[in-house]
Amino acid sequence: MTTSVEQRRNIYGDFDTHPMETGWASEAIFFVRVEELLEPESRYEASVQISVDGVLWIDEGTRMEGDGNEVLSFVRVKHFGGWLRLKGKVEGGLKLSIHLVLKE
Amino acid sequence: MIVYHQGLAKFQPLENILTFDDFDNGLNGWVNLMPNYTLDNFGVRDSIIEKTQWGPIMLSSATYRFPGTHGSMDGIYSLKLATRPVAGPYEQPPVPGSMSHAIKRMTMHRPPGLLQFEMWYAYTTEQDRSGLSENDIRAFGLCFDIQDAKARNFVGVRYLNSVNGNLKKEWQYIQASDVTDDEWAFGTSGDWCKRGVDPLWYGRRFPDGSTDGFKFVPDSRQELCYNESDDKINWLYLRLLYDCNKREYVEMQSRDKVFDLRGNSPTDVPPYARIEGLLNPLIWVEADANRRVFLYVDSVVISMA
Repeated sequence: MTTSVEQRRNIYGDFDTHPMETGWASEAIFFVRVEELLEPESRYEASVQISVDGVLWIDEGTRMEGDGNEVLSFVRVKHFGGWLRLKGKVEGGLKLSIHLVLKE
Repeated sequence: MIVYHQGLAKFQPLENILTFDDFDNGLNGWVNLMPNYTLDNFGVRDSIIEKTQWGPIMLSSATYRFPGTHGSMDGIYSLKLATRPVAGPYEQPPVPGSMSHAIKRMTMHRPPGLLQFEMWYAYTTEQDRSGLSENDIRAFGLCFDIQDAKARNFVGVRYLNSVNGNLKKEWQYIQASDVTDDEWAFGTSGDWCKRGVDPLWYGRRFPDGSTDGFKFVPDSRQELCYNESDDKINWLYLRLLYDCNKREYVEMQSRDKVFDLRGNSPTDVPPYARIEGLLNPLIWVEADANRRVFLYVDSVVISMA
């Protein structure tokens, strides 16, 4: 199952993605696509987070970062339990699309 | 001998079952509702409604902090519609992300007759704060988007739960008021949409809960067993029966109550290009406060006769 958790979202500063229930899946990939630099030399960093209930989140340990020169980036995760999201921060401004790909 | 799946026992299908979608088995063709990405750089047409930010759907185990996992009504997974944590005043166009939709795209394969939509579902809010949050859910509903050689029709019902935090708990069926296309699009011109199309979003909304897109079902205020805590969900039954020949609603059933809808028709819209034979069932939920609200669907049956 592939879903766009964030679509062409203009992000300045902190962000977190739409909480996704993932209990049925055993592996996941987050793809981050930089659609547009809203400010020059912008960059982002993000951490994969897991949760018991989709409300309180904790870092899973996997991190990613990128800038406008990397159109597409990804991270892989396994053994994440029932929920997944990315929590991150943009320095400057970026229009991002973020996809989550889940497999049983 | 005809053997039916045991999951069908809780439905009342017509003679010909088009789909029986149990979300324990995956999405079954239900997908996020999105606009048409046909302009340069895959852009979408300008509209007063931002249609790219609706909350994405997922397969859910309905898991909460205190009770843990509900599972679904007869398994583990349901289809979950989840808004983003945003809402605007009722009278304004739905703000980006304040709704979540699931749609399945099919086409007619039988002569026009009776068409029925059934689902078992539950609804609640994200339990991200103390208290009871029933009045933070604005509405949820189901409909068909159908088109034959003569017209495009939106045929559906919604439960108007709350208007700006005030509980209404009344059913409405889709039927457009006698307004212009511009009025339908909240007083803007040049929108993609015509009067009668996409009443989930379009059609002006008024403080008493009435809209240009829906009419109240008479005497339809109904309690739906929201339960006493946001983390307790109860599975509910909803059924809509429509007569494609007469282009007329027949009835709807919510829980054990049947509402007679005969004599009421949806709105005929001149056919759109490239969608003749369209048969798209659609489900949605809308937030009435700045928080996520959820609609869980255990299973759906679409049937015809």
